[in-house]
Amino acid sequence: MSDLEIWITIGALVIATAITRSSFWVIGQHVTIPTRVNEMLRYAPSCALAAIVGPDLLMNPGSLAIDVLNPKLVAGLASIGWYLFRRNMLETIVFGMLLFTALRLLHLF
Amino acid sequence: MNDPAAQPDLAAHNEASWREGIKTGVPTLFGIGAWGLVVGVAMIKSGLTVPQALGMTLFVFAGSAQLASLPLIAASAPIWVIFATAVVVNLRFVIFSALLAPHFASLPWRQRLMLGYVAGDMTVAIYLQRYPEIRPEPGKLSYLKGLLYPNWAAWQVGSIAGIFLGNMVPTEWGLGFAGTLAIVCILVPMVASKPALCGVLVAAAVSVLAAGLPYKLGLLAAVLVGMVTAMAVEEIGFKKANKHV
Repeated sequence: MSDLEIWITIGALVIATAITRSSFWVIGQHVTIPTRVNEMLRYAPSCALAAIVGPDLLMNPGSLAIDVLNPKLVAGLASIGWYLFRRNMLETIVFGMLLFTALRLLHLF
Repeated sequence: MNDPAAQPDLAAHNEASWREGIKTGVPTLFGIGAWGLVVGVAMIKSGLTVPQALGMTLFVFAGSAQLASLPLIAASAPIWVIFATAVVVNLRFVIFSALLAPHFASLPWRQRLMLGYVAGDMTVAIYLQRYPEIRPEPGKLSYLKGLLYPNWAAWQVGSIAGIFLGNMVPTEWGLGFAGTLAIVCILVPMVASKPALCGVLVAAAVSVLAAGLPYKLGLLAAVLVGMVTAMAVEEIGFKKANKHV
């Protein structure tokens, strides 16, 4: 791609992001969402977050194969325990990264 | 159109809520910055020039759509294909905008457009934990801004660092895992109810099983199946409760 084509592509990505992220913000008052659907949508953010982290925790990044015992899953589960115990996100991130790095370097999994 | 006197509370700056938003968001910033770094490195490694990569991160600000577009740009795919891919990858944001927009319907449309544009996954989740109800409350907007602005800045700092460090950051360090850990922490208090927990577990399982689908459709499928599961569990819970009455 030429430099100009790449900048046009970046413009297309801006429009694609604006359409999806801002749709209901701009035209939402003209659309009525049924109550039942609205009740269901409440669960969307937590499901989306779970769907974002799921593959990172449970899959081998190179091969897309399901990999149940890997450094990220072990460090991730330990971090959930740490967070439940301490209730401090920053501490949990530092703990999880240190554990993940240690497991990765030791080649335990 | 919008009578400012009718909604005096929503748009007015509320110092306490602004600070609360910043305080709540600060721990996520390291994860966000690490994710930005990973995307910045990926842009440079895929062959974008430094100005192109800077333009992409500053204007697009959508990590998953950016990552999806990189191999297509490298392969010189038609621009409409890249556009369609980005729309599909971003579809979950349509659901998020439907959830968040009614809270701020009284604001001018330009401001709504900008707020929607910068509201990413973690921001929406944290905001709705704090303000689940649509009704106008003073400080809502300041709280959202307190989440949004540092989130945007942290992403850009990470991303720009990644653009300039480029190949100096080995991928095996797995710095993006910091973003995953931040999300895990946000998720823990969100799954306090049985329906939410079931929805989250099912969504994670579907995201793994459907990870091979193109356009990140596995992510969207996971959200849809997870929502339906949570709703079904909630309904069964209601029915059981009603039987005992």
